[in-house]
Amino acid sequence: MSVRNEPNVLSRMEKTGSTILKCMHCGVCSGSCPSGRHTSLNVRKLLRKACNDPAVLSDDSLWMCTTCYNCQERCPRGIDIVDAIFEMRALAVQEGIIYPEHRKVGELLLEHGHAVPINEENRTKREALGLDPLPPTVHSFPEGLEEVKKLLTSCGFDELMSEE
Amino acid sequence: MRIGVYICHCGLNIASVINMDALHRKVEEMEDVTLVKDIQFMCSDFGQEQLIEDIKENNIDRILVAACTPKLHETTFKRVLEKAGINPYLLEIANIREQCSWVHMHNHSMATQKAFDLIKMGVAKVKLLAPLQIRKFKANKDVLVIGGGVAGIEAALTLADAGTHVYMVEKEPTIGGKMALLNEVFPTNDCSICVLAPKMTDVQNHPNIEMRTYSEITDISGSVGNFNVKGIQHPRYVMVDRCKGCIDECSHVCPVEIPNPFDSGLGKTKAINMPIPQAVPQSAYINNEYCVGCGLCKQACPADAIDFSLKEEEFSFTVGAVIVATGYQGFDAKRKEEYGYSVYPDVLTNMELERLLNASGPTRGKVVVPSTREIPKKVAFIQCVGSRDETVDNPYCSRVCCMSSMKNAQMIKERYPDTDVTIHYIDIRAAGEMYEEYYVRTQLMGVNFIRGKVAEVQLDTQGQMKLRYEDTLDCAIREEPYDLVILGTGMEASTTSDPIAKMLNLSKRPDRFLSIAHPKMRPVDAHINGVFIAGCASGPKEIQTSIAQGSASAARSTRLLAKGELENDPFSAHVDPEKCIGCRICENTCNFNTIKVIDGKAVVDEISCQTCGSCSASCPTDAITMPHSTDEQIIAQIRAALEVKDEFPLIIAFLCNWCSYGSADLAGTSRIQYPTNVRIIKVMCAGRVDPDFALEALQGGADGVLVTGCRLDECHYILGNLDAKHRMENLKEVLDEIGLDPKRLRLQWISAAEGEKFAKTIEDFVDELTELGPVGSELPEVQE
Repeated sequence: MSVRNEPNVLSRMEKTGSTILKCMHCGVCSGSCPSGRHTSLNVRKLLRKACNDPAVLSDDSLWMCTTCYNCQERCPRGIDIVDAIFEMRALAVQEGIIYPEHRKVGELLLEHGHAVPINEENRTKREALGLDPLPPTVHSFPEGLEEVKKLLTSCGFDELMSEE
Repeated sequence: MRIGVYICHCGLNIASVINMDALHRKVEEMEDVTLVKDIQFMCSDFGQEQLIEDIKENNIDRILVAACTPKLHETTFKRVLEKAGINPYLLEIANIREQCSWVHMHNHSMATQKAFDLIKMGVAKVKLLAPLQIRKFKANKDVLVIGGGVAGIEAALTLADAGTHVYMVEKEPTIGGKMALLNEVFPTNDCSICVLAPKMTDVQNHPNIEMRTYSEITDISGSVGNFNVKGIQHPRYVMVDRCKGCIDECSHVCPVEIPNPFDSGLGKTKAINMPIPQAVPQSAYINNEYCVGCGLCKQACPADAIDFSLKEEEFSFTVGAVIVATGYQGFDAKRKEEYGYSVYPDVLTNMELERLLNASGPTRGKVVVPSTREIPKKVAFIQCVGSRDETVDNPYCSRVCCMSSMKNAQMIKERYPDTDVTIHYIDIRAAGEMYEEYYVRTQLMGVNFIRGKVAEVQLDTQGQMKLRYEDTLDCAIREEPYDLVILGTGMEASTTSDPIAKMLNLSKRPDRFLSIAHPKMRPVDAHINGVFIAGCASGPKEIQTSIAQGSASAARSTRLLAKGELENDPFSAHVDPEKCIGCRICENTCNFNTIKVIDGKAVVDEISCQTCGSCSASCPTDAITMPHSTDEQIIAQIRAALEVKDEFPLIIAFLCNWCSYGSADLAGTSRIQYPTNVRIIKVMCAGRVDPDFALEALQGGADGVLVTGCRLDECHYILGNLDAKHRMENLKEVLDEIGLDPKRLRLQWISAAEGEKFAKTIEDFVDELTELGPVGSELPEVQE
């Protein structure tokens, strides 16, 4: 099925773009959303916005989803809602719409190979438990860290994070 | 030979895609074609008269019509030929609408080319047609109605009043179906049983109706005009003619208490009981599953009606037509776990609420909250439970739930004005006479409507039921307490119709309901001649429509059988004794035992021959001919299609008359687009396809051959498609041996309701063949 009268966000969502058109706005997704009960996220409105408003990519609520998949499990039209959110997030990032917090996490990943690198506190805890102060990850294998960095560079992740 | 070719524009349906002038010119150049005309609407009076005039004026002796599917107008044009004084079998239809203009809307030039090919194939066949004589046979005028719900009742009464003898078979101990269990019915709010009971009694008392309750059909053989039906009647252990229906005497002493299946299990009844007070027949029955055989009821019965020695009784009869009115089954609400049905006691279904509202139900008409036995203060209806829901494989709308929930909301409001009632809906569907007005009336009565499908029912720490949902009109996510929750459960195809469907070779839609011959034009005809479908067996319907369909199917069967004589195409197999070697392969192949080898030669019983042609395909000496579908005609069609190979890949497809040809037509009427690369040849059954045809096609330059038939357990000729499967699988091995890729031969089983699947099959096959390359490209190059 092809997307007709394509508004550009939908047509750029290769996997889920056309299925969003099936939405009948029953609200099962939003009613089932544990995050939406406490935040500004309304999944249904987010999908609706994806159909008609490119500004959806800079919508704060795009990042409020915990990806619990409740909505996707229950959607009576079989729309892959969470997968669509992932696609929209990817598009947002490609457009450089990145929150400072997320950029920070990206930078940590680039530098340490971990989104949450080890810190003094965890090191002490590990030692107290009789473990090696460093986990057997890139933290313990600097040559592995080089490879992770190479991988991240080869897919352009470093450039994505450095763009302002 | 003087052939007339008529190309129909079908308004713009054909002409807006196909270049009619170019097509006309090309056809004119064909050998033996004396006259070519293109006409706005071939099926119009003008078109038909033109045909008659031309035949007479130009001495035309055979006709090809390029228009819509032969399923629509083949009979029309046959009659025209008869009127013009030529044999009606000297006609061929090229299907350039469903198979061409409607499915290749965006490729005008290839569609035009393909239309030309289809005409060329048709002309090739027309040249080899032989005049045949229509066969007439005697038809039984009786009709079988399966199912004694409201649709079946209406069909039976309409037929019986018109003088037809009707057999009605119902599996439950009473007729009346689901409608007999409802309380009030929309849009008039009249008492359901009050309007139905007189009809139920009429069925029982009608001299033209033979009613069998507590019975099942076990076998149906034969075909239109002469269906042989067998069945069994389960023993009630109560003699119907003696039982006075007093019921209290016997059931009072019965020690076995059981959940009442007629109260959706809400109330209790006894092992000997009367399903509903208005049961027809007015007779008790003993539920064999629970009875302990204590004999107390026998002692108590004042009419001496109880007899434990009653046995299962077999019955059989012959009818000319069958009306399938097997109804629906309610969606099992337990499958939507988020609503807690059967976990939370105060979540009920609409059908259970009907029983609570019903004066003869378990609470004698009082609506109570099951856990407290008190009248509810706040009631919520949740709509679309098990309908419009792909997670439970029911994408369709059940059509009646909006109205039935509004009706039940009205009932609650009428009886308990202080009770707060809310309907949670996705869309209110009130399309029917007086329905929108009914919606307004419900609103005016103070029933709340909240748009948004309820996400879940939860219990809070105090044990209070809470509904979570988004009010989509407010864009607000809410949580609201209720003390009674009613689930508007949808309708599902009844599994009890499965064996019936199998016996009659009926096809099912992807939604599992029985499929009708045309989704719009033939609402009660099954794909099988002489079988009609009424009521919810073919999809969710309200009572009004079920009744209309009951009448319609009665009218359709009367139309079919009124003369007591039916016409049959003379297409039965014919054996050439000169060629026959008496090998008995055909005898074993025939699924209808119509071929016998007598004195070393095969002999066909032409009256019982079902004309599938599987024998012909199996004959090692080609001694068996199928008139109107001869080997020569089919090979001529193949050669015509491949004469100029105008695209790559090119597929020759053999489609069976009953299912797969119907699926291609459905792809057409649904405008599902697929690649132009296929040329279709219609055969009666996939079993007709002789492996020689496939070889001929591949040798002639086809890149692929597709053989399609009904789904494997649904063959119109019982096992014809399995015969095809065996033959084609063997042929694949042969292809492999001679160095051709066996993937060039594809088999697919598609029901008439699966247009999408047909299109997908062509798409996939084209992709695969594109990858394989032109036929023969896999062969090693010959060294000079």
